[in-house]
Amino acid sequence: MIDVKHLKKSFGENTVLESIDFSVQKGEVVCLIGASGSGKTTLLRCLNLLELPNYGSITIGDKAVNFSGKKLDKKEMKELRKYSGMVFQGFHLFPHKTVIENIIEAPLIVQRRKRDSLVIEGEKLLKKVGMFEHKDKYPDSLSGGQQQRAAIARSLMMNPEVLLFDEPTSALDPQLVREVLRVIEALAKEGQTMVIVTHEMNFAKRVADKVFFMDEGYIIESGNAKDALETPKKQRTKEFLQLLSE
Amino acid sequence: MIEWFKNIQWEHLYDPQLAWDSLPFLLDAAKITIFIALISMFFALIFGLFLAMARMSNFWFLRWPARIYISFMRGTPLLVFLFILYYGLPVIGIQFDSPITAGIVGISLNFAAYNAEVIRSALMSVPRGQWESAAALQMGYWQTMRRIIIPQATRIALPPTFNIFLDVVKGTSLASVITVHELLYGARLIAGRTYESMTMYITAALIYWVICIIIGHFQERLEKRYNRYLNKT
Repeated sequence: MIDVKHLKKSFGENTVLESIDFSVQKGEVVCLIGASGSGKTTLLRCLNLLELPNYGSITIGDKAVNFSGKKLDKKEMKELRKYSGMVFQGFHLFPHKTVIENIIEAPLIVQRRKRDSLVIEGEKLLKKVGMFEHKDKYPDSLSGGQQQRAAIARSLMMNPEVLLFDEPTSALDPQLVREVLRVIEALAKEGQTMVIVTHEMNFAKRVADKVFFMDEGYIIESGNAKDALETPKKQRTKEFLQLLSE
Repeated sequence: MIEWFKNIQWEHLYDPQLAWDSLPFLLDAAKITIFIALISMFFALIFGLFLAMARMSNFWFLRWPARIYISFMRGTPLLVFLFILYYGLPVIGIQFDSPITAGIVGISLNFAAYNAEVIRSALMSVPRGQWESAAALQMGYWQTMRRIIIPQATRIALPPTFNIFLDVVKGTSLASVITVHELLYGARLIAGRTYESMTMYITAALIYWVICIIIGHFQERLEKRYNRYLNKT
């Protein structure tokens, strides 16, 4: 489903990702963990091409893109983005559109699908994430958890093969975290392929098939969730998990 | 002080009868004022949008001319610019078909620079996350601009844009010096004939005020419409 090879990303002199290699199978849930500044978010943004890697290749679904030196054209970027949906830490719903308008906007404009059928499909998705009764509200009148659930539904409307989550609960009050995690867990049970950047270790243990631990731009440890989180091999991973549990 | 007060000729302060009799003539002239203001603002907005885009462009050959143009227009008085257009250009063989055209061109070109800065700052104030979420949803640049960014920027730009519009309305009075028969020109004509300058200019000022009140009312309605999504169900 996802195959990343030799990925490198620098911002000027500052290298934030180096020699990243990993793959994700269809239906798998992968959690990216690590300290702030370790490169997790940049890696996730590279998968959606919100950041352009300097070197390496990314394959998602049938689309492979090689970044070695050449400039990527817009068509190629759009092609790769078709396979993934992104859920942001800050939700980024469109504030001037109601929840249902947010949900149907991209398929209406990008895929040029009919509004009536999109509304029916959108309402189904909103029911699934527990947001149906808020469909005609504007994002500003919703709680953070509700906005994030709407954002998840908005990504799902584009039928992505992979959902990418960038710290989906970090901007939420503790009592709102659970409602969002519940939606993500339900998606995992349905077999949705997902890559999730998170600091919620218990959630990662429950939901992830694989965990990648990142440090200073490298994936320094990976493996199945239980092993990597309960009996980590690398000292750096142990220290990080120890800090989180304190 | 008392002597100065005694010398005031109160009978010339305001002649309501003259004002009333002059009203039809002044209102006709006010129609020209409103016409020039509306057309000028329309072109100033369109040209201002292009200028703002050029000013934000990645290409220096668009960015720099836009920057210089905006700087020149904001740094020179409108009256001087109208003189250049109406009295200067004919010297080199370029002539407008009417003073109104010269007035509209002058006001549009001048206020486009102010609009460009308002539009630019409004576009830039839309959070980057809006661009990113639109890109992640596969929306292209112009789709994002049209559907996501411009509607949000419009809300932000409304109050300063209406301020510019009020300045445009008042700025049309400068066109009187290039013989455009607008409101101030009409008031000057009657004042010249009757020597009741105070009455005529106060009446003209009141008509400008009423026009601006109507525009202000229109602004409030538009702002309400564009603010409807802020913390409301």
